[in-house]
Amino acid sequence: MLEVHTWEPNANSGKPLFCLKEKGVPFTYHYIDMGAHEHFSPEFLAINPDGTIPAIVHDGFVMTESTPAMEYIDEAFEGPALRPEDPYKRWRMRQVMRYTDNVVAPSLAMIASNRLAAPRFVGRDPEELRRELARIPLPERRASWEKLMFNTTPQADIDESARRVSAAIARFDTMLERQPWLAGESFSLADICVFATFYALPMSHPAEVNEDKTPNLLRWLRRSHARPGLQAALAMGRGFISQRAVEIRSRLGVAQAHAA
Amino acid sequence: MISLYCSPGSPHSAAVRIALAEKGIEHEERRLELARFEQHAPSYLELNSQGTVPVLEDGGRRLTESFLILLYLDELYPDPPLGGSGPRERYLVQKWGKYLETSIAPHLAIARWAALSGRVPARARGGLAGLPEERRALWQRAGQGFDAAQLAASGRALLIAGQRLAADLAERDWLVGDGFTLADAAVFPHLAQFDAVGIPTPPVVDRWIARVAGRASVGPIAADMVPLAVMGPEAGRWG
Repeated sequence: MLEVHTWEPNANSGKPLFCLKEKGVPFTYHYIDMGAHEHFSPEFLAINPDGTIPAIVHDGFVMTESTPAMEYIDEAFEGPALRPEDPYKRWRMRQVMRYTDNVVAPSLAMIASNRLAAPRFVGRDPEELRRELARIPLPERRASWEKLMFNTTPQADIDESARRVSAAIARFDTMLERQPWLAGESFSLADICVFATFYALPMSHPAEVNEDKTPNLLRWLRRSHARPGLQAALAMGRGFISQRAVEIRSRLGVAQAHAA
Repeated sequence: MISLYCSPGSPHSAAVRIALAEKGIEHEERRLELARFEQHAPSYLELNSQGTVPVLEDGGRRLTESFLILLYLDELYPDPPLGGSGPRERYLVQKWGKYLETSIAPHLAIARWAALSGRVPARARGGLAGLPEERRALWQRAGQGFDAAQLAASGRALLIAGQRLAADLAERDWLVGDGFTLADAAVFPHLAQFDAVGIPTPPVVDRWIARVAGRASVGPIAADMVPLAVMGPEAGRWG
């Protein structure tokens, strides 16, 4: 039995959804409403005491690190291989994932959560917010949520994140000039890892991601958005993300795939 | 022929040296003096723009990031296998690799810098100009000294790391499964420095440190691991 406890098909939360849909592996999706802080609920903490999503449970084996879990999924289940065979090509795939996980995705998360989540806390009772903070198990997560709830993320940090995202956009565009996918000739976990945070950039960062500035990245986004597996995963959301995916496809001129 | 650019005092270098020794892979070592900031010399930055050790050269291939190098070596030289047996163990090995990079190594570097009274001498400041912006910013921050809040947060993170190791080692001799794996090779050199920076470790972790250090392949490498005041990976900036 394979169960995925996660939020939307977005960033780390979305990686197992994208990966499993690409492999064609059936699974049960338990929606964790991050907006309602369900990932800090006693029920979820019983599965992952760290209170981070996703949590993937395969026959009782719990996985909470999204990138190693994608490697597990690729190895443990049938379906198209999502990792190159050659060890050096795998190293390149992992290098992209490491850079994305450690540098790029946290920067995008800082920017997006300050724009989208921080306003929700304005005017809330500080005591109530403190009680919510106290439920967050990991100190580093608590520190980030505290900055969001009390709107204290330093502008210099947000600017530095924007710089890093711009650098990543340029770096990936250059890589994709000479190869169709981020790890080389074949679609791989590296593409899923980046797609999970980059799928909406033509809408969220139109001045930076467009036909003139990043033609190669845009072609890669079109190729990715056209994949039935990624489309099917994007359609699993319950909030604005699935609707936004439809809009992005329309804007990129990508057709709706049939049956995934 | 494999060449390893490394420094014996660097835990990340030690991890790769241990894996090479465990697998009996012939190689040559090119040692850098980190105390003399040789890792920031323009000729080295051409090998690795991040200015970090180790770098592994294998024919025309040049690899960075020690844990990813360990996975590469294990896939290229599968005898003896160190990546874990079966997908579950391999997941756990990679989970330790990720935890090491994000929750141990950055904080150990900060605690070590404070414990060893690290400083960036005037002659090393010019070398920082050649680094990518985030590495340069990290070194500049180190040069100014870390504040009490950062030192406290890093100390807490390392204590938690010791507890997490203790939890996994409660019922087994090695971090993953029944034998020595890349998880032990990668994590051990960092944990072995906790004592030198004043971070206490649980007894079950101390016994594991002694167990790893007692391996024939590890002993000489462990004896070389003198802590140096150098920066590690950057600590997470957002959760």
